[in-house]
Amino acid sequence: MSPAASDVPDRAGPGDRAVLVLRLAAPLQSWGAQGAFNVRDTRPEPTKSGVTGLLAAALGLPRGAPLDELLALRMGVRADVPGTLLRDYHAVSDFRGHPLPQAGVSAKGVQKPTAPAKYTHVTSRYYLQDALFVAALEGPPELLNRLVAALRAPHFFLALGRRSCPPTQPLVLGIENGDLESVLRGLPWQASERAKNSYARKLGRRRGLDGPFRPATVPCSVTLEHADGDDVLQDVPLTFDPHDRAFLGRRVRQEWLRVHTGFSDPDAATEIEADQDIHDPFELLGR
Amino acid sequence: MPYLSRIRINPLRAESRRYLESPRAVHGAVTGGLPGSASDERPLWRMDSDDPHRPHLIVLTRSRPDWSHIVERAGWPDAEGQHALVRDYAPLLGLIAPGREFCFRLTANPVQNSPSPVSPTAAQRKRIAAEQDPARRRGFRMAHRTAAEQLRWFLQRTERWGFAVPASRTDPPAAGLSAECAPASDALSRTATRSSPDRTDPTPREVRITARHRRTFAKNGRGPRVVINSVTYEGRLQVTDAEALTHHLLNGIGPAKAYGCGLLTLAPIKGGAPG
Repeated sequence: MSPAASDVPDRAGPGDRAVLVLRLAAPLQSWGAQGAFNVRDTRPEPTKSGVTGLLAAALGLPRGAPLDELLALRMGVRADVPGTLLRDYHAVSDFRGHPLPQAGVSAKGVQKPTAPAKYTHVTSRYYLQDALFVAALEGPPELLNRLVAALRAPHFFLALGRRSCPPTQPLVLGIENGDLESVLRGLPWQASERAKNSYARKLGRRRGLDGPFRPATVPCSVTLEHADGDDVLQDVPLTFDPHDRAFLGRRVRQEWLRVHTGFSDPDAATEIEADQDIHDPFELLGR
Repeated sequence: MPYLSRIRINPLRAESRRYLESPRAVHGAVTGGLPGSASDERPLWRMDSDDPHRPHLIVLTRSRPDWSHIVERAGWPDAEGQHALVRDYAPLLGLIAPGREFCFRLTANPVQNSPSPVSPTAAQRKRIAAEQDPARRRGFRMAHRTAAEQLRWFLQRTERWGFAVPASRTDPPAAGLSAECAPASDALSRTATRSSPDRTDPTPREVRITARHRRTFAKNGRGPRVVINSVTYEGRLQVTDAEALTHHLLNGIGPAKAYGCGLLTLAPIKGGAPG
């Protein structure tokens, strides 16, 4: 039984914890958490099981290997570019040439074939396109050093949530000192130049300006593992054994950070209070 | 057990226009949503129109209400989504502790009472003339009508209501800036002085007036018209006296509570660290 990741104690002292920063970017990513059968969903941001799987693949752990060491890493994810959702429509045919079975059974208890004969399954797979996340993992430095070496020369193929989604380079941004929050807060916006300029153009249009508006900071949503967080995510894998899947929950805290954009000449007015949400008295009443 | 409700109002419907025009009509509709007799409790309500095309009616009641009559006549009865959201208010009351900070919104009716108005109206003159003993004359309730007085009315009373409005977090001006815009900064400090509770205290506070309305309506369409000046305040507050704040959250602030004033609502402070 591996420990629930939320039980990981906070950093005991300055020298014994460090933070590994990964840049998870690709044309397509898919971070499934609840998908089953013919609908394979994706969460809006990387899951702990997805990132743990990536690290385990880099280390070359076999499917049934215990994951305690990796699950003890405390994870935080920042959505630099949230991306858009892509639904991939599949019609999967049965190669054996028999029609698919229907739900009803015959007198012998055998599933009857569909009539009229139906040969194809429809499956939907969901992806995030053009998204970019920064995943930070807090843990002991010697493990993080080992992980960096493994990620630079991975044993198995690396993928962002699904085998068809290889990551773009650079994947490893390095190892930082400090705690998870301050590292995610201090790291500048990782969006590509093209994404940054597109954001500035959209912002300028929304503000009724002639040209682009380049703010000094940009709001990014952050999900941090936290022992007394408000939300629970069921994405801590006990093992990756395909015949024995089981997941634990972990507590997370959702936040917004203002991250420096890195524009060389940011406009003086910042994009802070103009778009602030309206007053919602129901936010304090729980769910 | 108190409940907070939010009801979507469709401004295109005839009944909604009545609600938006007359606080009296809303008062009737709100009390009509409570099964107990009307004398049992005094519900507090407020019309929030951040988006004028999608106003929301916020109501605080002691007993669990039913808003189907409002949804049917002034909402979108067949539309998707939540027509009326009713939530238990107790979790919020559990959060009230000294030192905690929240965002707030309040629509109130700032008034003052004076036995000797500077320029009395005809009705007031009549009453003054009719009074035998001027020392025993009851004061006239008069609305504060300038923004500065309305703001000071609010800030003078926050301590009694159980909270303090923190000083606003403005950075000092950059070096060399203050000398250049001396007249402007002078004007700024004048307004700040006016907006602070104490005339000698120039500290600006974390509160602003977001809406001011003068509403008039007649009772039953006849008789003298009721006139109400409602002011919407928004800002940040820090709890100083949990008991007093809980009392004022549940019982409202200031006069005209039946007419959409006095409901103080709290929201979390937005976490996005500015800058």
